[in-house]
Amino acid sequence: MSESTNRILQVARHEYRAAVRSRALIILLAILVVATGFSVFIGATDYAAQLAEYDAYRAAAQAQGLTRIAPSPLAVLSLLRGAFEYLEIIGAIIAITLGYLSVSRERVSRTLPLLRSRPLTGTELAAGTFLGALAIFTTLIAATAVVGIVALGTIGNDWINPAQVLRLTLACVAALLYLSAFYCLGAIATAKAKMPANGLVIALGIWLLVVLVLPQIGDTLDADNQLPGGLFQALGLNHDGEVAVLTHFTGYEQVRTGIEEASLAKHFERFAFAMSDVKERYRPYGLPWLLNETRHDIGWLFAYTAVLFLGLRRTLTRQQPIPTGGNS
Amino acid sequence: MIGTIASQQSLLLRRQHVALVGLITMLAVTAIAGVLGWSSHHTIVRVFDQAVRLQAAAGQPAPPNPFLLKPNLSLLSNMVVYIPLIGALLALVVGHLSMVDDQSKGMGRLLFTRQVTRTQYALGKVLAATRFLALTLVGCGVVSIVALLAVNRTLGSSDLGRLTGFYVLSWAYLAVFVLVGILTALLTRRRSLALLSAIGVWLVITFVVPQFTSGLRPTQSLNPLTEPAGTSQAFFRVTQHAQPLSIVEQYKTAAGNILGTSPTSPTTETVLTIVPTLIAGFGLLVLVLWRIQRHDYARSASDE
Repeated sequence: MSESTNRILQVARHEYRAAVRSRALIILLAILVVATGFSVFIGATDYAAQLAEYDAYRAAAQAQGLTRIAPSPLAVLSLLRGAFEYLEIIGAIIAITLGYLSVSRERVSRTLPLLRSRPLTGTELAAGTFLGALAIFTTLIAATAVVGIVALGTIGNDWINPAQVLRLTLACVAALLYLSAFYCLGAIATAKAKMPANGLVIALGIWLLVVLVLPQIGDTLDADNQLPGGLFQALGLNHDGEVAVLTHFTGYEQVRTGIEEASLAKHFERFAFAMSDVKERYRPYGLPWLLNETRHDIGWLFAYTAVLFLGLRRTLTRQQPIPTGGNS
Repeated sequence: MIGTIASQQSLLLRRQHVALVGLITMLAVTAIAGVLGWSSHHTIVRVFDQAVRLQAAAGQPAPPNPFLLKPNLSLLSNMVVYIPLIGALLALVVGHLSMVDDQSKGMGRLLFTRQVTRTQYALGKVLAATRFLALTLVGCGVVSIVALLAVNRTLGSSDLGRLTGFYVLSWAYLAVFVLVGILTALLTRRRSLALLSAIGVWLVITFVVPQFTSGLRPTQSLNPLTEPAGTSQAFFRVTQHAQPLSIVEQYKTAAGNILGTSPTSPTTETVLTIVPTLIAGFGLLVLVLWRIQRHDYARSASDE
């Protein structure tokens, strides 16, 4: 192992240990775990009842000798929707908090300039803290996924198959990228602010815009969302009529989609929902088709994370080391 | 003395860049809500025109005018979402800042050598923070009136009354979060822990409790036109009894009733939906006053 890799791993281990000791992080993690567990529990309880109804229908149909039995409309992975939504909202706050804590801890204890005075480059420092954060997020997401799968199996009475495990794993990787981007944002804002807490507030402001406001604006501008129950239904238009009317709104729809495209949260949501069968229109298709359909979302997730990591590297590289020796 | 402390805190809030940014943000989101309302109006007009042509070409009668289904103040539907999201976070930060600066700069020690009681001190801080929010909401109200006049062309006295009622309700709701920000600052010594604990409370109130009581998923809370969630499960038949404790849901229901954007309900029901917010605010005020008597101002809080 090279000296550089060794230094990166040292920083990553330090980052992991320090995060696990943080009370702020533990409080937020507890909220995420309880909320996610509750969401999956509710979904799984309801699913078990629906699955029992379907099984009863299938048994009755088979007993009557029917050969064509309607397939189950249920999608077990879709029960993880709440878990992904909580990761999207609370997980992002946890990631920002982690970024904030990793910089503020070193700043308050004056160890950041000290670290920079050691034979540790800004790139190594950024890579080490980023790697440590990735390890924490992996633990968090893996624990959430395992709890979800076990809850679906034991409460929902439906264990997921290997193909579903693969799709869930891909959704978890997307969650990892998503949280990493917010980690970088929290760390950059904190490192650039004069007072660490102000950096945290600024990062939370950006979170608010990206995670809550932009997707909300995109949803609100949807032509059909203008009236309760749907505008097209209120006008007595069927699907064909809706499509015919919407051909006159291509510019409007482009603006609306553009606003949604600006939100990293929306890209994560679209990909995770496609992988976990949340959207019914994706359910009939296999993984290659789904990956092709969501390639833009995958690209944006990678692009946001890469740009923010480069920003983190630049910010940490610019931290001034402690001047050594001399009376200046 | 309460007035003096409130004036001094108001001066500090004016100087705080974060509070100023929060104020500008609130005015900006009110303007965005107006633009979205205008866009909604414009979209409905265009969709209606297209639908009329389409139906006429098919030899069918014209569809009903959708504006008959759209209340006058529906333009403000988005504000009912933005107040619990953005407004509540601003209120948390304002409450937090009102308390932590005195702690971390050691002002508390100096202040209590003067003739000021802790109750007066806390009430002065609460007064300053809630006054700041009231001024912010007055600004939002003015922006809303401009938006309504621009889109609807007229604004009757009834609508003006409803608008005032909505912003008074919003002020009461935000006051709860000011008190949460103050209380968490009194309970913890580190700035970051205080702020994050307050945000934790906000997350629970805004996203977790509505799912518990009504089965509303987190992202459903972001849409002003949320379809009622299915609560047919036995679990929700039990937990929906706890809906009065979900102050964000009560706020949205009361706001919808006041603005006339939700189905009409008796005045007594609207009043009942406001009561949980008032009780939460009063309870938190009592907790703040109790906690500040025990707070150790001899120890400076950490800036971290």
